[in-house]
Amino acid sequence: MDVADLVDTSTGRQSRSIYSSEPVYRQELERVFGRCWLFLAHISQIPQPNDFFRTYMGEDDVIVIRQKDGSVKAFLNTCTHRGNRICRADRGNARSFTCNYHGWSFAPDGALAGVPLENEAYFGELDRSKFGLVPVAQVAEYKGLIFGNFDPAAPSLEDYLGDAKFYLDVWLDALPGGTSLVGETQKMVLNTNWKLPVENVCGDGYHLGWAHAGAMMAVQSMDLSGLSVGNASANLEGGLSVAGLNGHMALTSLDGVSGYAFYPEPKPMLDYLEANRPTAIERLGKLRGEQLWGSQINITIFPNLQFLPGLNWFRVYHPKGPGQIEQWTWAMVENDMPEEIKTTILDNQCLTFGLAGLFDNDDGDNLAACTEQSRGWRTSQMDVYTNMALGRSGAREGFPGDIAAGLVSEHNQRYFYRRWQEHMQASSWSDVPAYNLNSLASREAVDA
Amino acid sequence: MLDVRPQPALHDTVTALTQRLFHEARLLDDERFEEWLELLCEDVSYHMALKSRRFRADRSAPIAVGAGNVFNDNLARLKLRIDRLRSGFVWAEDPPNFVRRVVSNVEVLDADEPNEAVVHSVVVIHRNRIDGQTRLLTAGRTDRWRKGGESWLLAAREIALDHSVLPDSNVNVFF
Repeated sequence: MDVADLVDTSTGRQSRSIYSSEPVYRQELERVFGRCWLFLAHISQIPQPNDFFRTYMGEDDVIVIRQKDGSVKAFLNTCTHRGNRICRADRGNARSFTCNYHGWSFAPDGALAGVPLENEAYFGELDRSKFGLVPVAQVAEYKGLIFGNFDPAAPSLEDYLGDAKFYLDVWLDALPGGTSLVGETQKMVLNTNWKLPVENVCGDGYHLGWAHAGAMMAVQSMDLSGLSVGNASANLEGGLSVAGLNGHMALTSLDGVSGYAFYPEPKPMLDYLEANRPTAIERLGKLRGEQLWGSQINITIFPNLQFLPGLNWFRVYHPKGPGQIEQWTWAMVENDMPEEIKTTILDNQCLTFGLAGLFDNDDGDNLAACTEQSRGWRTSQMDVYTNMALGRSGAREGFPGDIAAGLVSEHNQRYFYRRWQEHMQASSWSDVPAYNLNSLASREAVDA
Repeated sequence: MLDVRPQPALHDTVTALTQRLFHEARLLDDERFEEWLELLCEDVSYHMALKSRRFRADRSAPIAVGAGNVFNDNLARLKLRIDRLRSGFVWAEDPPNFVRRVVSNVEVLDADEPNEAVVHSVVVIHRNRIDGQTRLLTAGRTDRWRKGGESWLLAAREIALDHSVLPDSNVNVFF
């Protein structure tokens, strides 16, 4: 396998084998999931000491635990004795985690706290300090989002996010109260390679008016960059496809309201936006406060985190082999929102992108079939293309990144696969290129 | 002494409601959605909450803003879902999937309201899907059925889905 042949950014070509090959997948676990900053949990999900939340980093089962001092630690969810899973619950609060197999127990800080028959059977010779839970090498928070990284040599989370923070902050920092994830985790098995749903959301406005036409007919209440049922129209002036930010992406409309286009009754949301827009402008500057805050924005943090202000869903994809994922979704709210607005958002998120979501239920079979059609003897040798609007990108005043016009483009997908290839080719972080294209000199330059 | 409370409903009520559930399942299997809507009260509540796996001894605080839902529907929203399914654009249902419901464990109890009955049941939905694979969705249901004239109409359905991870890529079905 030569990774150089699998993706060609200059033509938008990908080999279909990247969606089905077991060797490619094993290398992804090492070089993508073993190296990148991965979303673990939101601080709102573990507010109290000893609160825990179980998740995955790649295929590795991880527990994230709030400590007594308020900090957050993350550990591999595996007993250091014989390897059994020590925590079987999805979330909760626990003073210790006791292994079902032989009863070893671990404190929330990872220390091995109890070993049955320690004196009688181990003759008091077990060095407990060497058998604590294995921590995730790096854990860091950015404005409420907790990330973990298995690679001690990885750049800091701040550097990893780079200029994507310009877009992240439109959601995370528009209002002083910060944000929360709400509701239980909405978990679904999809028989797709993990890259296909990322691609679908990071830049693919093209599928919206076609794949989701039935849902749009049912709930669309406002214009979204001219996108309409059956892909009859699109307004390329109405949005931006932003990439070139170390693999992170944003796909955004610019009207400041269309995030709520898929709410059957958007008025309370629009009233909320207008009441709080002066604060958002004060904090984010005029450009972001007026044009991005309230707009439909698809934000992707490489490799597997995506969230959409407006539709207000927040999602990670956990790979389960080359052909399967678990898709985990939550609703997200701003903490300054009145309770009834939060309730409306949770309700609408479940209606549109929940387990029985009117939109979400359109995507799974397409992604599964794209995966299946890359597994055959013949199809695995074929290619697929993201070659729409090749070479039609550049700088856009005030916005960092390499930017193409409109929500309908395949510009972002090309950068996603470019970043994937860069990681897959690099044997360590020192070989991974860094680029924040058209970087803004300073935040003040934006606000001026 | 065996304390039977609330009292089991009369035999003809049990028969009528059991037949109602079977008939309803057949209407849904056959995608006769408009006829299904006629079995629902104007103020129907159709609900399935999200759940998580928690330790039995867990004492953590309830989740802010609530657990969220798979279904949180009134009549208008159920019609919205049917409008989507009828739009001709729901590619996941064309060709149609083979869908068959098995309804069992029917238990009819008196409700607080004199013209209503509480009905517990279990539904297993067999879906043989576009990829040729079969998925089984299992749920418990607690219904309130209301007598309107000669006919029983569904006033409320609380559905407990028995899957912590949904084993399918969509829920284009009613339970």
